[in-house]
Amino acid sequence: MISFQKALVALRNAGVEFVLIGGAAMVAHGSALATQDLDICYERSHENIRRLVSALAPFHPRLRGAPADIPFRFDSDTLERGLNFTLATDLGDLDLFGEVAGLGAYKVVRAASDIVQVYGTDCPILSLDALIRAKQAAGRPRDLAAIPELEALRELKRKLGNKQS
Amino acid sequence: MLNSEVRCENICKKSMNTRQQNRGLELITHPPPGSKLAAAKEFGIDLTLLLENLALTPTERLEKAFAAAAFHHELRQAGQRPRVK
Repeated sequence: MISFQKALVALRNAGVEFVLIGGAAMVAHGSALATQDLDICYERSHENIRRLVSALAPFHPRLRGAPADIPFRFDSDTLERGLNFTLATDLGDLDLFGEVAGLGAYKVVRAASDIVQVYGTDCPILSLDALIRAKQAAGRPRDLAAIPELEALRELKRKLGNKQS
Repeated sequence: MLNSEVRCENICKKSMNTRQQNRGLELITHPPPGSKLAAAKEFGIDLTLLLENLALTPTERLEKAFAAAAFHHELRQAGQRPRVK
């Protein structure tokens, strides 16, 4: 189970450029999903990857669901050679995405995010509109099944004039 | 009034004004035909949960979701442990 607050504080304190996406972003917008992991889209500059590594290394990231004998070093070189990583950490499961289906890389994802106060800090969270686009693009049954709830949330917020994200 | 409406109303009182509470309850109880709310209800989404969540702050929503996930995780683990008579 992810300790979301600790993960968020670590990322923010290290100055990592990221956007909260996936199930936790849905929940932050009001979804009734029970989510267990944290998905983030990260900016892929050398400097940001260095910050990301320094933020998460203390929590011993390792590949999730991979055989134990597969060598994996959580460092800048590894992140620069890959794009998306599904990790288990001491804080819980954490997925890193260099791109989001239907949207693209960090710059587009960041532009499609809302700044939301979470645990007393400003956190970029993928907007409801963008979440719906991403789910449509991903196209898996579980993604498509999430769309009616997201569309209902969007409509409910609009009709209630809900200013709070 | 349904139990879910009572539960929703109690929570909504925390951070929604009366107009929003009433409008929200009306929308989830009688979603306009052809609306996304109607489609979601037809799909099986519990709209009372969405209205409850909108009455919370984003932090409270995340806390609630992770607590629920932790509870599910605990239940699954308990189900896998051998029974002791």
